[in-house]
Amino acid sequence: MIFNSLTFLVFFALVLAMHNAPFFSWQQKKINLLLASYLFYAAWNPPFVILLWLSTVVDWWAAQWMVRAKQEHTRKAWMLISVVVNIGMLGYFKYGGFLLDNFVQLAASLGVNYQPPKWDIVLPVGISFYTFATLSYTLDVYLRRAKPAQHFLDYALFVTFFPHLVAGPIMRPTELVPQFANTRRATAHQLFFGLSLMILGLFQKVVLADGFLGPVVEKVYDAHEGVPMALDAWVATLAFSGQIFCDFAGYSTTAIGVAMCLGFAMPDNFRFPYAAIGFSDFWRRWHITLSSWLRDYLYIPLGGNRHGPARTYTALMGTMLLGGLWHGAAWTFVVWGGLHGTYLAVERWLRSRFAGWRPGPAAIIGLGLLTYVLINITWVFFRAKTFPHAASMLQSMAGLAVKPIPMIALLPMIYAMVIVGGIVGTHWWMRDKTLEIAIERTPAWLVGGLLAVMSVAVVAEQGKGSAFIYFQF
Amino acid sequence: MPLSISSSERSDPTPRGVVQKEGALPAGLRLTASDRPGQAQPVPTRDVPSQPWGMIMLGVVAGLLIGTVALEVNARENIGLHAGDIDNSEVSWTNEKLRAAGAPAAIVGDSRILFDTDLNRFEALTGVRPIQLAIHGTSALTLLENMADDKDFKGVLIVGLADTMFFQPFDGYGGYVHKFKEYRSPYRIASNEIDHVLQRRLAFLDSNYRLSVVAHRLDPDFRPGVEGPMDDIWKLQEVGEHRQTWMWDRVEYDPAWRARTRWAWKGFKEKFPFTPELIAKGQGRAKAAVDKIRSRGGDVVFIRPPSAPELRVNEEAQVPKEKGWDVLLRNTHSIGIHIDELPAARGLTLPEWSHLSRRCATVFTDIYVRRLTELTPRFKLRADAPPPLSRADCVSA
Repeated sequence: MIFNSLTFLVFFALVLAMHNAPFFSWQQKKINLLLASYLFYAAWNPPFVILLWLSTVVDWWAAQWMVRAKQEHTRKAWMLISVVVNIGMLGYFKYGGFLLDNFVQLAASLGVNYQPPKWDIVLPVGISFYTFATLSYTLDVYLRRAKPAQHFLDYALFVTFFPHLVAGPIMRPTELVPQFANTRRATAHQLFFGLSLMILGLFQKVVLADGFLGPVVEKVYDAHEGVPMALDAWVATLAFSGQIFCDFAGYSTTAIGVAMCLGFAMPDNFRFPYAAIGFSDFWRRWHITLSSWLRDYLYIPLGGNRHGPARTYTALMGTMLLGGLWHGAAWTFVVWGGLHGTYLAVERWLRSRFAGWRPGPAAIIGLGLLTYVLINITWVFFRAKTFPHAASMLQSMAGLAVKPIPMIALLPMIYAMVIVGGIVGTHWWMRDKTLEIAIERTPAWLVGGLLAVMSVAVVAEQGKGSAFIYFQF
Repeated sequence: MPLSISSSERSDPTPRGVVQKEGALPAGLRLTASDRPGQAQPVPTRDVPSQPWGMIMLGVVAGLLIGTVALEVNARENIGLHAGDIDNSEVSWTNEKLRAAGAPAAIVGDSRILFDTDLNRFEALTGVRPIQLAIHGTSALTLLENMADDKDFKGVLIVGLADTMFFQPFDGYGGYVHKFKEYRSPYRIASNEIDHVLQRRLAFLDSNYRLSVVAHRLDPDFRPGVEGPMDDIWKLQEVGEHRQTWMWDRVEYDPAWRARTRWAWKGFKEKFPFTPELIAKGQGRAKAAVDKIRSRGGDVVFIRPPSAPELRVNEEAQVPKEKGWDVLLRNTHSIGIHIDELPAARGLTLPEWSHLSRRCATVFTDIYVRRLTELTPRFKLRADAPPPLSRADCVSA
């Protein structure tokens, strides 16, 4: 189920009540949470719970046998079994159709007319997220960064804990498993602050992303005919930058709030990314748990920056290309990752070339704006369904479209730009703060007033359960 | 001092690489995984800002209650919405689709047959309550094919159509019928049920009056050349249990609303290239679907509900009756009831030119169902059927 659904409200109220019920022991409460998490996942498509079990069981035993192994190659074999099972599962469900399509096209280019049966496999929701979470468990054990969990229940709950299960933050075992060791129950303040985070997250998702930004993006990106004017193309792309942030950060904030209401801590997944100065800074602020996962389990093992510039740039580009592919089984996502890889490589080269340069305030603002604009260029490939469509959008954005037409009405355009301006402005204001510090420095009446307005706005928007964009990944 | 859920609560020995206790940084920053490369990540720190949270939450709850009451009062008093008006969701359609399996009759089509059929009247006349599967803005052909593919349906399918929409080469709004399974996930079904429970009691829960929809409608086509919210069809219908749909009463009593809707139809003047090939293709698809239903013992009848002369003239110009309707009946060997051949149903009220008023929908249902009972033995007029209705029952003199 999804957070912005009435089913979740009922589900969460029941889970919260059971978690705080005095007659359950901690062990029973963990079992309750585990069952609730399976229910949360099964509410989407019950048979896919089997995949969760498979992933859970394989990685549990792989880690157990890894620890017991006397020889290094045995440890490595268990690690590889875990990797193959998880990546195999991900590959089959997520990339099977994509690989088959590309194979057919390759065969056609060689003059072979191969017509395979239609690949009609449904993508299990959140598979990319829980696969990475559970993989980090076996990899951390293999790399001797972490000990295997002592209890199967704690480990199974780590994999399936519903707040992070389908769209992250991608948690590491060392972040969550220790939290299951002792009784967890939110204090009144934690509960209220957790609820506040849920209101903020749902406001971002339901009101801003789905209500005000999504329709503006769709008007241009999903238009059936005509090419947009430069203004429309830019507004739609900027609106998408706001939509995807509000959608995904909204989910993460809600997830963190849900966990906090239950007494658990989850890591930050976003740190005001549109105030980034440069692309390495951006990736320290955007989808932090994914970028750090890719860094720790892909970039560093590929050599990182320890083997000279050529290897570093290769590792960087390889990581970002795969990171792009992680987002979706399409070449447009690969190009999106490739563009980010290129940005990072260029930035790295410039940093080494101008190592002594310290930018002044004006240069910092200029670099921040440049970063934001270039990130928006990458969003075109992220949002467009095909390369011709992406090319057409970029052409429009460059003012080179032939016979462009206006597509977005004035008022929706103004709303979108005010919201995006507000998001970017807030990110700059919050650049060196946490949300908690900002709230602490705000008068209580204003905090309460804003939360009340946001909650009424969520009710008035009547979110009908549009799925989060990142669920498809 | 902020409260926190922190890494200091670890109970097991710290493995290699874990950063020991770290709280919020003095400057207000907090370390994240991006600051700890190549190491196991510790239990996160989550601060709770120092605020009177109890008072704040009390204020939020009070604000939420006041806001919700204000929304409800506004919906009932200013907008004219009613409790019990249920959103016609995709899940609701799939619920009815499941009910159609084994049902003696079902209705598919666009908004005209959806609005213009009173299911209660149908049942009172024949003892059969058809399953309502018509979807606004959708080609009846799409839905006819959908039912043809449903092996469990062996009853009579009543296909209501507007000629132009029937022969258009795209599904229209109801394209979601191809994603039936997607809408049958347990959480969607449960959410739909909860939604309906609330909508039976609260008027403001209407997707036509979501905050963003209302905000966007404030744009009176400021920007030339753009199809803005003013060009959309705003709220037109009310929906009851099992998708019984009728015209929203405001369309009938508010001249401005009525005029706006008529304007939004733009007279159905937008010419789509209904080439002979396109129409022939539609005829072929229809025949295949009808044959499929008949091959398993079912049957198909066609209904062409009324539209006002202001629209009809443009519909006829695009798909003439003799090329569309007449050929359709001939090709499929079907019986059909066309408004032109139903004199008793002429002159009924079409407030916004495309759909009948609520009372006239009942009259139209009465007239076409009685005619159906004459044309097909599949429907029989009950002995205790209510007396016939006429134009005088819904159109004031």
